[in-house]
Amino acid sequence: MRCNYCEWGCELTEDTYGVCKMYHVKGGMVQERFPNRWSSCSVTRIESIPFYHAYPGSRSLIIGTMGCNFRCRYCSNGFVVYEDPGQIEDRMLCFTPKEVVGMARKMRCDNIVFNVNEPTVSLPSLLKMKPHAQAAGIEMGCLTNGYTTPAATEMLLSVFDFFNVGLKGFSSDFYRKYIGVKDVEPVLRNIEHLAGSAFLEVTTPVIQDVNDMEIEGIVSFLSDIDADMPWHVFRLLPEHDMKSEKYPNIDTINAGLKTARRHLSYVYFHNFVGSEWVNTDCPACGFQAIQRFSLGCGGDRLMDNRCPAGVCSNCGHDLNLLVAAKEAVI
Amino acid sequence: MSLAVIDAREWQNLFDLQTGDMVSSEDAVVKTVRHILKTHPYPGDTESESNRWVTDTALDLIDAYDPQLACISYAQQYFANRYFPYDAASRRKLFEHVFDEAERFIQASGMAPVIVGTGDMVPSGRELDLCRLDGLALSSHWSARYAGLHDPSERDLKEVTNMSGIECMASREEWLALFDTPVAEPYRLPDYLLVAEEGWCFKTVGQPLRRSIMVPGKGFEIPVATTLGCVSHITDLQRFVLSHLARERIALILIEGIGLAEFPLSHNPCRNNRDWFYYEPGEGLYLTLSTGRHQVFAYPPGYRYFDDVEEPKAYPFSGYFREMPRSTIGEVYSGRSIAVGNRSMFMHTAFGADLSIECFARNLFNQGLLAVIRNLCREYR
Repeated sequence: MRCNYCEWGCELTEDTYGVCKMYHVKGGMVQERFPNRWSSCSVTRIESIPFYHAYPGSRSLIIGTMGCNFRCRYCSNGFVVYEDPGQIEDRMLCFTPKEVVGMARKMRCDNIVFNVNEPTVSLPSLLKMKPHAQAAGIEMGCLTNGYTTPAATEMLLSVFDFFNVGLKGFSSDFYRKYIGVKDVEPVLRNIEHLAGSAFLEVTTPVIQDVNDMEIEGIVSFLSDIDADMPWHVFRLLPEHDMKSEKYPNIDTINAGLKTARRHLSYVYFHNFVGSEWVNTDCPACGFQAIQRFSLGCGGDRLMDNRCPAGVCSNCGHDLNLLVAAKEAVI
Repeated sequence: MSLAVIDAREWQNLFDLQTGDMVSSEDAVVKTVRHILKTHPYPGDTESESNRWVTDTALDLIDAYDPQLACISYAQQYFANRYFPYDAASRRKLFEHVFDEAERFIQASGMAPVIVGTGDMVPSGRELDLCRLDGLALSSHWSARYAGLHDPSERDLKEVTNMSGIECMASREEWLALFDTPVAEPYRLPDYLLVAEEGWCFKTVGQPLRRSIMVPGKGFEIPVATTLGCVSHITDLQRFVLSHLARERIALILIEGIGLAEFPLSHNPCRNNRDWFYYEPGEGLYLTLSTGRHQVFAYPPGYRYFDDVEEPKAYPFSGYFREMPRSTIGEVYSGRSIAVGNRSMFMHTAFGADLSIECFARNLFNQGLLAVIRNLCREYR
């Protein structure tokens, strides 16, 4: 039986688990092998995930599972994501979807964000979580690599209210060589679709001399969809198979973002301590709407939100911020 | 004003330590520190060159600043042991290497050493799963011994009381009474502190993904090696070092992840506890030995860390600290002091030295270096 969650379309049996190793066939259906197992359940500020325009300053419960349908050579979570899920199952936290929502409430979280691995590999559990989150008034968001089938993208849309899609390069050549999948096209297709259907930010981890030459193409693609889409450029600290690679030079990468800043309203460059490029300025009048502080791996935090209603308090321009209903009416 | 210099590798920036605002300075000491950071990029927590980085950086800082007191921390062997499997021979090599580095530092600096082992490590054993309680249990992955229990139900209390592997359970009041020190915000403490027997670890929400292979073992006593005398309790270390600084230049050297069982130098056991509570390697231990006072409650085990939501936060580079700890050894001592270490981002808060250089790494992700220039070194005195 063919799996229809991601673009790999793996052929599954009871004992054949496909690329992510998270699904198999049981009772004539594709089913999760490890429902209710979570690799992470912890609290952070939403800016650290990163979401800069969704619910600024809110408290997020971070959840994740195991397995991934990508094989990024630089993955920073490879020590859990690329392990055989069957081998590390006993290390996982065991919660039903309802209990995860309960945990979010216990820790007074405003939202739940799936961010360790790829949510597509655990979609049935997440679909079950949604009604409990909804009943508790808790929004759900995710980071995703965007390699879903159209049907699975719709499922993601039915679960999550806000997305951050990792657009890791712009060529299929890069995706083949560094990500381990054959084609970037499904990712581009899904970014276009999600941008029209939900709140969306995009993140591109940049590796010098590997994908920085693809920045121009990414900027052109994103600005054609929506020039107000927040774009995070991550200075990637390579891990996993690329741990010995040189750190990207901050000034060099930043110089390459000049064009991006002309075409996109919100370009952020971070994942290093003390970044100067983490604030939100109003694209219309230049007023500094949101000030943030970045500690790199230590997390980002909101310092000052001068536009809590989502529009520039100086000129009234819409800042493409997702804000809680109570703040939107301020 | 105290300054923070961030070196994210080939990129530096200067900040006001307290506000996090970017500042500029042409001060000579700033230039010197910038140069040292640039010369010594941080290799990473578990890299074999990491302890050499500590020695080389500290020696360059000594050349530039000529301090009487150097607080040094070596931690590569601690991180490596925590996360990677080593056989006995490889572990021995790790320890030999770190003591070679300490010896190299002592020889080159000419300082009189006071060497402290922060405690033995033992294999991570059976888990005490606290995830399914009605209340909320929290434990840092750095701790094997303590977990905080918040808002427990009667059922929770019954359940944890009967759990194998729990050595004892102290209510907030019992815990506070043990130390008898004023606590500004007692409500931040958990309702109960759970204490695990050696060989057990707590499993709670809020722990990171990386699994520890070794964890801190029993640390009621830790080794102290020095020819200057005998220190019987961790709270005596500050006074001991200060009293000898009048006559000698002193290097207070902390070697992480090694305790009485494996410490290779001639040493005395130094008490590291009060009653059932002992300090595991970390900020509490560093602050206690640096200030000479028990430091349990600023960052208590098992507290609801995520409730500290003050925005904007003062001292953004200084972890949970909202003000600099007072009475640290560097602050109390009137002479020149430095601190260098690869343990974490708390050398500057724990020791309060004039100049501190520490790795900026978290969960083994290497983001570079942080240097702190305190009060612009009191204008070089």
